[in-house]
Amino acid sequence: MKTILEIKNISYAYKRDLVLNKVSFCIKQGEFFVLLGLNAAGKSTLFSLITRLLSLQEGEIIINDYNLKNYKKALLSIGTVFQEASLDLDLSVRQNLYFYGCLKGLSFKETLVSIEEELDKLELREFLDVNVRTLNGGHRRRVEILRALINKPSFLLLDEATVGLDVKARFDILAYIRSLVKEKKISVLWITHLFDELEPNDALAIIHKGEIVENSSLKNIIKKYNKNTVHEVFEQLSKDTK
Amino acid sequence: MKALYYCTLGIIYKELLRFVKQKSRFFSALVRPLLWLFIFSVGFKMALGLAIIPPYETYITYETYIVPGLIGMILLFNGMQSSLTMLFDREMGSMKILLSSHISRNYLLFCKMLATAIVSCIQSITFLIIAYFYGVEMELIAYVLVLPVILFSSIILNAFALFISSVIKQLENFAAVMNFVIFPMFFLSSALYPLWKIKDSSLLLYNLSSYNPFTHIVEFIRFTLYLKFDYSSLFIMIFLFIVSLSLAFIGYELKKIPSSKS
Repeated sequence: MKTILEIKNISYAYKRDLVLNKVSFCIKQGEFFVLLGLNAAGKSTLFSLITRLLSLQEGEIIINDYNLKNYKKALLSIGTVFQEASLDLDLSVRQNLYFYGCLKGLSFKETLVSIEEELDKLELREFLDVNVRTLNGGHRRRVEILRALINKPSFLLLDEATVGLDVKARFDILAYIRSLVKEKKISVLWITHLFDELEPNDALAIIHKGEIVENSSLKNIIKKYNKNTVHEVFEQLSKDTK
Repeated sequence: MKALYYCTLGIIYKELLRFVKQKSRFFSALVRPLLWLFIFSVGFKMALGLAIIPPYETYITYETYIVPGLIGMILLFNGMQSSLTMLFDREMGSMKILLSSHISRNYLLFCKMLATAIVSCIQSITFLIIAYFYGVEMELIAYVLVLPVILFSSIILNAFALFISSVIKQLENFAAVMNFVIFPMFFLSSALYPLWKIKDSSLLLYNLSSYNPFTHIVEFIRFTLYLKFDYSSLFIMIFLFIVSLSLAFIGYELKKIPSSKS
């Protein structure tokens, strides 16, 4: 199966504070890959490196066979959802989508056509002309996901996309993202600190204090440690690395 | 090419939408120079006699003198407002959308400057129309010729403002920029009084004002409004354009976006 994302020996430090230490993993096409870690584990730093918000200090990132140094091609077919809200609150949903579509090289019409199908699935059609400021957190997040799908990406990155949402909104969004993987074979990097968002067959990398301490499927990891839940595995790993 | 075209279109579209939706921004940008024109100039003209200086061929009123300077004021404050918006976007996270794009960061920044310049053009022309009815009249062709000059000048000032915003770490520090950069830049120029007046009072301030890029921008607008053209001014403007754009590009290329260490 084709590799969509390859992270090779990434290290990153904020001044002298090493936050990522020789991180490596791969994501295959059509894979739902979870990067799990507590706060300050290095997840968002890794996300920022993949999306070029931070410059690489050490290591290599390859997206869709393109080195990130060639970002014009590497970032062309990815969709991103940031942890922080990134919609323009003063604009309507439609205007936000048009703006992003333009950034991806699409006309207004092409933008609407590209998200036509997803607009209904995410139940956003009736909100198209509503000002983002008046939407609740769950709807705003759905708009951000819809926006990330505008250029029909082969790879979707979501950084703590469900943080701050109620349980129903969280699992609705998660179910939708999983359906994209299943139906459209989109690869997903799902960054989270929430253990209950994982499923047994998910590809999983556990990051702890800037290092990947486990990288396999969830069920294999649980089996390896002879535990019942990923939470117990995580506690074990935390003890081991102290 | 298609991607770059739509990218430019998108950024201009968003800037214009914000401009239309934030009506207070339009009025406050307009009220500031109008206050200077309607009130400040009335009180000040009695204290300041003006000799005949180029580009003027006769004695002029003080109101006539300060109009180009007030256009400069619109451009300067708009540039700062725009970079303030970028600073706000950066703090709120929405600038990440731009910076994580597959399109060159420098190109995106240039589009942002161009979009702000278009908004500044609309505001400047509105101001010129009001000034016309107030009695500060120019030839019709001058209003047409000054448009590209305003656009060009605005891009220079926007680039300068973007460079400043690239070195500011927090939104709160922007007030200091107003006090230490914007106001000195405005007052140490020929916007409100001719340089020879400053020279009479202080040679040091005269020299500082002569090297102030804002002085050259104001004079370039002034000469264009009176249909005078000077190659040396054009070269200075091109030089300022290259320097300010380079500073903005370098500033944002080296910029580290705030990121939690999670």
